[in-house]
Amino acid sequence: MFSVKMTDTKLLKDMFQAIAILVDEATFNVNPENIQLRAMDPSRVAMIDFQWPKTIFDEYQCDQPQKICVNIAELLKLLRRTGRDETVQLTLTPDTPKLQITITGKYTRTFNMPTLEPQEEETPTPKITFKTEAKATTEGLKQAIEDAQLVSDHVRVEADPEKITLQATGDLMGATIELKKGSDALLDLQTQEPSKATFSLSYLAEIIKAASATSEIATLQFANDMPIRIDFHQPKEGKLTFYLAPRIEVE
Amino acid sequence: MASYLPDNEHVLVLENPENHEAERALKDAISQRKMIILVGECRVGYKGRASSELESGERIVILKEDGSVLVHRPRGYEAVNWQPPGCIFYVNVEKRELTVSAMRRKPVESIHVYFDSIYILAIMRLRDHGRFSLHASEEDMQKAILLKPSIIEEGLVPVDFEKKVEPGFVDVYGIDRQNRFVVVEIKRKPAGRTAVLQLSKYVKAVQKTVNRDVRGVLVAPTLAKGAQRMLFTLGLSFKSLDPKKCAQILQKPQTCELTKFFRQDR
Repeated sequence: MFSVKMTDTKLLKDMFQAIAILVDEATFNVNPENIQLRAMDPSRVAMIDFQWPKTIFDEYQCDQPQKICVNIAELLKLLRRTGRDETVQLTLTPDTPKLQITITGKYTRTFNMPTLEPQEEETPTPKITFKTEAKATTEGLKQAIEDAQLVSDHVRVEADPEKITLQATGDLMGATIELKKGSDALLDLQTQEPSKATFSLSYLAEIIKAASATSEIATLQFANDMPIRIDFHQPKEGKLTFYLAPRIEVE
Repeated sequence: MASYLPDNEHVLVLENPENHEAERALKDAISQRKMIILVGECRVGYKGRASSELESGERIVILKEDGSVLVHRPRGYEAVNWQPPGCIFYVNVEKRELTVSAMRRKPVESIHVYFDSIYILAIMRLRDHGRFSLHASEEDMQKAILLKPSIIEEGLVPVDFEKKVEPGFVDVYGIDRQNRFVVVEIKRKPAGRTAVLQLSKYVKAVQKTVNRDVRGVLVAPTLAKGAQRMLFTLGLSFKSLDPKKCAQILQKPQTCELTKFFRQDR
């Protein structure tokens, strides 16, 4: 038996939206203490690492650890039907393979949807020695990425002790975006050595846009030609972290 | 009668399944979003933006994990009925007929495949992370030049592409080291006289609008017979460029897989 109830439906929707950026079929690991998901996107370029402790929910009941796999886009469609001051309850009982979604407010509606075959294989986390760590506002990051997207589909992220530079080069146009240490956008910056790596803007933009709905501040970690780790600080408890593999230029 | 292929546990094949056996297997496969291939005798009905009916015959029906569906007849490469990803599949057995339906909400469309008999039902989960690359179209060659203009000549700076001039569109438009305009015409096959004439027209059209020297460069793998003399007579030049090389240039900055970083630090 697994059953959770949540009144902060906006957070629930925003979080599932962030998961849906990378994952079609989401396999959640649920246990009596928390709910977790770690998965890569189908092209294995990006990864999400998500965890919510039971205290996020208003009610949380889970008898034993289990895996629950659902089509996240379909679930989101149902969750989007929740309005303000409404409560969502998700229930999975052992006697049916269907997840029950009950939305209670002015009236009550109960949806059910099939659960899918869970992915058995556990996704490990990349092992990387990061050389740069930066703390930025998600709003600042979002704006900077939108600037870069005007001219290119990829961006080089460079860090020196004073600033982070985003360098985008397109077919004909280019852009240089500087975030200075201590500015409103870049709150903190620590570099052990100058670092630079290039990333796909479509991934970065989607991740940052969706995750910033759940978070104001993000910690970025990267190193030369290594994946970037973006940790979106959650106002309450919980964890939302993304990894994105770099584009490596072979010359 | 179920038979499992021994070398691949991801594949289940049922030969001449009875309707209820097929129904169970299909429902299971659909709920798990597996890939399904059905071969058998069926009728097909489609309703939506138009409507169609296909009389009974022996066909191959493919239901893919993303919710797309294809109905193939024994001839031709195109599907006779098909639906894009995102359909919801239903299976139903009534009397002696098994029906597979694919519904789409926006726009409202549906395909119903009515099976009289099923010869083969195959259910599988396929893994496919491979990248598809089509080797260098003219558009790819154009992109490669924009990305790395030095493959045409050192110092070339592209300023525009698909630039409209009176007779058509200039593939790549740039400025060379001596500040002359360069009009580039790209062909992915050996360039003949028509290509030379086309380039010449573009150069003339550009010359009318600017007061700077304008050069014309024909880019192709090779020049066809007889094109060379015409090229020189018209004062144009040729640069040999292999479409395969362009494909390589476009491939170079690839996003690598995250799995590469799972084991150890490099």
